[in-house]
Amino acid sequence: MKKKAWFTGMASLVLIMGVLAGCSGNGNSNAGSEASPSANATASSGDPIQLTMWGGVPPESGPQAVVDAWNAEHPDIQVEYVRFVNDDEGNLKLDTAMMTGQDVDLFVNYTISQASKRVEAGLALDLSKFSDYNIDEKMGPDAKSFLIDGKYYGVPTTKSPFFVALNKDALDAAGLEVPKEWTWDELREYAKQLKQDGGYGFIQHTEPYVDPIDSVLAKEGYTKADGTSNLDHPLVKKWLETLNAMMAEDKSTPPLGEQLTSKMPVEQEFLSGKAPMLNIGAWLLRSSNNFTDFPRDFKIAFAPVPRLTDNAADYVTRGGLGDYISINAKSKHQEAAWEFLKWYADGGMAPMAAGGRLPASKDADQDAALESLLGDKADTYDVDSLMYVMFNNPAPTYVRSLPQEVMDARAQEYEKYFLGTQSADDTIAAMVKRHNEYLEQNQ
Amino acid sequence: MTNNWMKKQRLLGYIFIGPSMLGVLLFFLIPALYSFGLMFTNYKFMNPNVEFVGLDNIIRLFKDPMFYLSLKNTAVFLLAVPVSIALGFVVAVVLNQKIYLKKLLRGLYFMPYITSGVAVAFVWMLLFHPTQGPINGMLRSIGIDNPPGWLSTTTSSMFAIDIIWVWFLLGYNMIIYLAALQEVSPELLEAAKIDGAKRGQILRKIIWPLVSPTTFLLLITGLIMTIKTFGIIQAITHGGPGNSTTILSLYVYQNAFRYYDMGYASTLSWALFIVILLITLVQWIGQKRWVHY
Amino acid sequence: MEMKARLSSDVPKRLGLTILMLVLAIAMVIPFLWMISTSFKTPAQVFEYPIKWIPSAPTWEHHVKVWTGPKSFGTYYWNSLKISIIGMAGATFLSAFAAYGFARIQFKGRNALFMLYLSMMMVPPQVLFVPKFLMFEWAGIYNTHLALILPGLFTIFGVFMLRQFFLSIPNEITESAFIDGAGHFRIFFRLILPLAKPALATLAIIDFSWQWNDYENALVFLIDEELYTVPLGLQNFILENTVDYNGMMAAASAGILPMIAVFAIGQRYIIQGLTNSAVKG
Repeated sequence: MKKKAWFTGMASLVLIMGVLAGCSGNGNSNAGSEASPSANATASSGDPIQLTMWGGVPPESGPQAVVDAWNAEHPDIQVEYVRFVNDDEGNLKLDTAMMTGQDVDLFVNYTISQASKRVEAGLALDLSKFSDYNIDEKMGPDAKSFLIDGKYYGVPTTKSPFFVALNKDALDAAGLEVPKEWTWDELREYAKQLKQDGGYGFIQHTEPYVDPIDSVLAKEGYTKADGTSNLDHPLVKKWLETLNAMMAEDKSTPPLGEQLTSKMPVEQEFLSGKAPMLNIGAWLLRSSNNFTDFPRDFKIAFAPVPRLTDNAADYVTRGGLGDYISINAKSKHQEAAWEFLKWYADGGMAPMAAGGRLPASKDADQDAALESLLGDKADTYDVDSLMYVMFNNPAPTYVRSLPQEVMDARAQEYEKYFLGTQSADDTIAAMVKRHNEYLEQNQ
Repeated sequence: MTNNWMKKQRLLGYIFIGPSMLGVLLFFLIPALYSFGLMFTNYKFMNPNVEFVGLDNIIRLFKDPMFYLSLKNTAVFLLAVPVSIALGFVVAVVLNQKIYLKKLLRGLYFMPYITSGVAVAFVWMLLFHPTQGPINGMLRSIGIDNPPGWLSTTTSSMFAIDIIWVWFLLGYNMIIYLAALQEVSPELLEAAKIDGAKRGQILRKIIWPLVSPTTFLLLITGLIMTIKTFGIIQAITHGGPGNSTTILSLYVYQNAFRYYDMGYASTLSWALFIVILLITLVQWIGQKRWVHY
Repeated sequence: MEMKARLSSDVPKRLGLTILMLVLAIAMVIPFLWMISTSFKTPAQVFEYPIKWIPSAPTWEHHVKVWTGPKSFGTYYWNSLKISIIGMAGATFLSAFAAYGFARIQFKGRNALFMLYLSMMMVPPQVLFVPKFLMFEWAGIYNTHLALILPGLFTIFGVFMLRQFFLSIPNEITESAFIDGAGHFRIFFRLILPLAKPALATLAIIDFSWQWNDYENALVFLIDEELYTVPLGLQNFILENTVDYNGMMAAASAGILPMIAVFAIGQRYIIQGLTNSAVKG
């Protein structure tokens, strides 16, 4: 059956049910063409245009200051910031709000897979209709990762580096250098040497936990030439075994089961000096600048995330850009939203830097942003190594783009391995099987 | 009394259930039928491209190992229900007799039911911590060298969840039993005592049968509620570690709200519906043997 | 008197039982204690082992933050109260009304309709959400409190529970009234409702705690922050990649007070049932 025919059939069924009549109307307008940007209500009348921006960052961590600054400068376009929690339910809330035509003019996507769902649903505006802003030129080559079907449906606005944060004092005491590129085997040695009695040498935030695998497969491909899963790549097994050895033999990193069920507060473990190395992203800076809640007496240095492959030239690292901001295709104020978005990307977002979000645009004032990022705590960081992981690391970057279903299936299987209920080979076989099943279902 | 009047009185039945029926129709039946229709589509939430896929979702369900695993986990989860009903009954009986601080105690046992879910999840994680938690600390101090890993291993996690669920439901079962016990007439109990019936016998032969409609209610609603629950597991383990605590309702939730796969989520939830229906039917038929109205 | 003699010999037993129940009760309130204790701690103390129940340097800071500042809990609290009280009162009454019909009136199709009721209780809520959401949008109550209040008026569990209770009220009581010519309305309002006070109070308590804690529906059906309920307000404490547990627990411990109040009030009626008990009459 044809798609639309089915939908009409479905809709009439619903009509018969009477009460649900509304849904067919809504559904059809969706299924129809792209929502027309007809009413680009320009500020012809005296009333200012009201824009609403939805983002996942708590307003007090920057966004409120950003919109306040804009509103002061632009009495004709007033922006309101609405915060959603960036989890499954929060994103669901944003999506239902957009579907029901609530006032959402701009929204932030935090993953590519979220963005693609919204593009498919016709909720994100194709930005190629605006010709006065060259995203590639402004944001650099990393922006390419955000093309969806060859088009930009949003602007990636921040630099979003991932790194291993190091307790510089502990490293110095052990006579270890701050690495500029290293392998997981080298990190394992560091962890062993840095480990204190009863403590761990290396801990990880769960968000970038699985990045080593993605780093390999982003480069080599998640699927093989014949279209089947590439999760049995030899380096996947190497990751499993390296990390497992660190948990079981060296006891230099927490067993995964313990970490998950105790919701280990990794930032706090690191900042209190209990664990000297932490795999994390730029958001660490907000906590590490907060000496009231996280008093700290050592200097933090930064190293790139280690690689599994021996050859440094083969390595791509997670990071590049983030905070992919889209304009709602149903917004009545697309032009105004676009004006705001350009301003935001080119430096309006500066107050966000305090939370680790540096502007990606080459036209933004990087020094000012960096100053706001470090605040009055600059001397508690090893700034050279920070600059290195933020700006100067020559390794190419990738953005995680795996569908959530596959991410989850993979995580469930490797958890079983790290908990000792499944061998490495069985784990890989199970990951491949589940990935292939997903691929088959979603051809 | 005329026959006519009797007839009219009988028709009043529709008026009594009418308002409630309207709500059930609007907020349950119609949405349920809609979700039944979704079962035969590949509807992804938000996505306007909906196709009729016939029985694909149902075939997928039968081939989905996660479905079977989640069924198994659900079965283990359900063990908590009879246990907490039994405990709830005992607590209610104790709190219904001559005892000091009765009011305070009733309140305390009901606390789990009203405490914030996040706090509940958090505390149990702290208590169950495999190396530093007080529960294992206690077990070690009485000579158990290898206490269970509780929430941190795939083999013990579902049982740890069971313990939490018994704890959670206990106060709820207790309070409903308490209400039921108020209808057991004190005279009846006094009479039994004068007859020299022993306490245990009074409990078994008089009180237990008298509250059997309540037990029946608690069993049915407890099983249904438990099968449908996912919030507490979502808060504590997210279905992990591995997929050891992914129960069917959590799997429905993930498919619906995480993957937006409404077609498959509907299919799964109708499977869930059938499971609940079977369990309820078995009880409904079995009630004649032990429920006394 | 015999009474007195029994009383004195009972005392040690009663005391023993009370102490035993109190000890067990501690296990029931541990999360609650943790909640209170965390709300007075600093972030660094949240994860400390062994658990410190009484923080070394308690701070009121988090409680102050909950009630002052740009995101005061006052509005959320008021919204939650409004929704939960209307919902609780409506649901309890409507359930009693329907339960009477199911338990006491013989009408055609009664059993089939009741089975339909029960089966609707079995439908997992996750899949009802999309159609409900479409329906509310069509009816224009999406993003209003009505989207929570209206469905909140209906609880299948309540009907089922009260039906079970009404069934256990001896038939003789109502039959004699019926023979005296009292109609179902009179029997319901004059006889059954007063007799069912313990059950009604119990349902009210449970229903209130459901309404008060409802998170999923509020999350999806309310957009404007002025409409938020307490469980939604708690989400403000989820920061990026971390959670402000101290603030969240300060807000949550305040959020528990209305439920305690409802429980305390409701409990009176449960006990009252004991004195003018049904079966005496």
